[in-house]
Amino acid sequence: MTNSEVESVSGFVGNFNVTIRKKARYVDPDECTACAECANICPVAVPDEYQQGFSSRKAIYMPFPQAVPSAYILDMENCLGNNPIACGKCADVCEKKCINYDDQDELINIEAGVIIVATGMDVYDPTEYDEYGYTRFDNVITSMEFERLICAGGPTEGHFIRPSDRKIPKSIGFIQCVGSRSRNGRGNPYCSNICCMNTVKDTLLLCDHYPGVEARVFYMDMRAFGKGFEDLYMRSREEGVKYVRGIPGDVSENDENKNLVLTVENTTTGRREIHELEMLVLSQGVIPRQDGDQIKRLLTLSTTSDGFIMESHPKLKPVDAPTKGVYIAGCVESPKDVKDSVTQASAAAARASILLNAGKTRVEAITSHVETDKCNYCGICADVCPYNAILAPDRKAKRAPTIIQAACAGCGACAAECAQDAIIMRHFRDEQIMAQIEAILEVEPHKHLLTFACNWCSYAGGDNAGTARLQYPTTSRLIRTMCSGRVDEKFVLHAFRLGAPMVLVSGCHFADCHYINAVHWTQKRMDRLWNKLDKLKIRPDRLRLEWISAAEGQKFAKVMRELENSVRSVTMEEMEYTMKIMAEEENRILEKKLKAAAKKV
Amino acid sequence: MAQKEYDFKCLNCGREYRALYDIKNVTERTCPQCRSNSVRRMPEKKGAAKT
Repeated sequence: MTNSEVESVSGFVGNFNVTIRKKARYVDPDECTACAECANICPVAVPDEYQQGFSSRKAIYMPFPQAVPSAYILDMENCLGNNPIACGKCADVCEKKCINYDDQDELINIEAGVIIVATGMDVYDPTEYDEYGYTRFDNVITSMEFERLICAGGPTEGHFIRPSDRKIPKSIGFIQCVGSRSRNGRGNPYCSNICCMNTVKDTLLLCDHYPGVEARVFYMDMRAFGKGFEDLYMRSREEGVKYVRGIPGDVSENDENKNLVLTVENTTTGRREIHELEMLVLSQGVIPRQDGDQIKRLLTLSTTSDGFIMESHPKLKPVDAPTKGVYIAGCVESPKDVKDSVTQASAAAARASILLNAGKTRVEAITSHVETDKCNYCGICADVCPYNAILAPDRKAKRAPTIIQAACAGCGACAAECAQDAIIMRHFRDEQIMAQIEAILEVEPHKHLLTFACNWCSYAGGDNAGTARLQYPTTSRLIRTMCSGRVDEKFVLHAFRLGAPMVLVSGCHFADCHYINAVHWTQKRMDRLWNKLDKLKIRPDRLRLEWISAAEGQKFAKVMRELENSVRSVTMEEMEYTMKIMAEEENRILEKKLKAAAKKV
Repeated sequence: MAQKEYDFKCLNCGREYRALYDIKNVTERTCPQCRSNSVRRMPEKKGAAKT
């Protein structure tokens, strides 16, 4: 279904209901024979997006020659007007009478068992690198523009000419990593993966089209990993392409001949060099889709710090999204070339077909459920759920929230946020965790460092420290929860009530959170707890928070050692005072709950 | 993103600083001095926040 957008998605794995807006194209694709009579007579000319603005198209046009369906489309934003009809020439000339100015968008509902997200990426706009002169100098172009100019189906029919005088350039430079691997506030810090090999391919195309052309590539590192890529790179060098290790600091234009003068420090020779070139290509990086927020919101997808969609697990589930039944493929996940995209798409299709063919899915045993008699219909559980797995309660109808078991991933954020204790987390019930706290603090509580560690990162970080034989205090005691979002305020307060000198809550880094954004609730809860401790005249620094990944065994050991020192700074008087205050606080909370329950009855 | 300037205090090293933060769109906090994540957002004083 082309020229369409997803409007809404509801449901869960196996039962998605998707509403798609099929946009009006004003031309009946079944009748259109792509004869081009309409475009020939259309008086409106606008820059052709597909040709990167190097040529123009009409208001009624075919987006590109291989477009599916092979039919024309009317760009109503640029059409002279259809209400009333101001021009109408295309409709007059169309023999098949397939142009309909009254065409409307259509909403289509489909049911889907699984969803594959392959929305691709955008390219980086290098305008902010002002020193390279893109948009200031005619003969500075991007690698995407190069593609159109060298393509036989492009605006110049494959004749690579420079824009200023339409002559074939004799010397061409390529600047690598424009907008990639940048940590100076411009561009992106990540490597865009595809640009090095794209430039190698471009230089070979140039050498093939124009033997004797002088091509120079300015780079910081050429990354030619992958099957056959090193050979391709060596072939480019053998063809006479010069590779200069250094990124130009400045580009200026020769006013007379419009040539470009580059100043660069060649880091191989350690010398400053000046290169005069007839044309310059900026090898721009790739960026996440700029209009991808809608799909992320609809499918509760989260992104890594670079803005690309986060996979469920980088090694074991690289094409699964954290939301069950949703798979990802291609550059929506990270920058990648065609081969990797096809590989990932095949994997996503295979993963999807496993689920579809099975006709049923296994649900995690660790899910939450609601004790309806305790619920006060506040709806906080539905708000915190990162998976939209909780159908909000209805206060007027006194209907408690419903948890979709197939969609629940078991983070436990809902159970931790529920002030009424109306949500039970299977296998990580309040009673089970409280019992662990009590067991740890039963004997000599003042000596123990109580730590809540999330299953996926911090607990694994502790394991990592152990297997690496890193030393950390033997007084540390870990309580595992599936997510730090499960750590309820009352667990922390109960630990202090039983004499814990320090409490550490640890979880995944925000970008690694196994449960989309459940750690956000951990951070918010910690802010509330610190304020509460302050109010109760208990030092907030006795409650700590650390984000420790599975690979950060060293950080885990370091944090434990630091906290061991902090434990010693807590005096017995301080602990006794805390226990007394916390006992009062727990009684106060209990009384409040009993009152609320009595009122409800 | 509606970012405001807030006061923060590191509970590990005690460093106090002001930084832009969006309380609706929570992001990871790290102390610029000791790299600890135990960074407390101090309660807002009336009229202290700047957009």
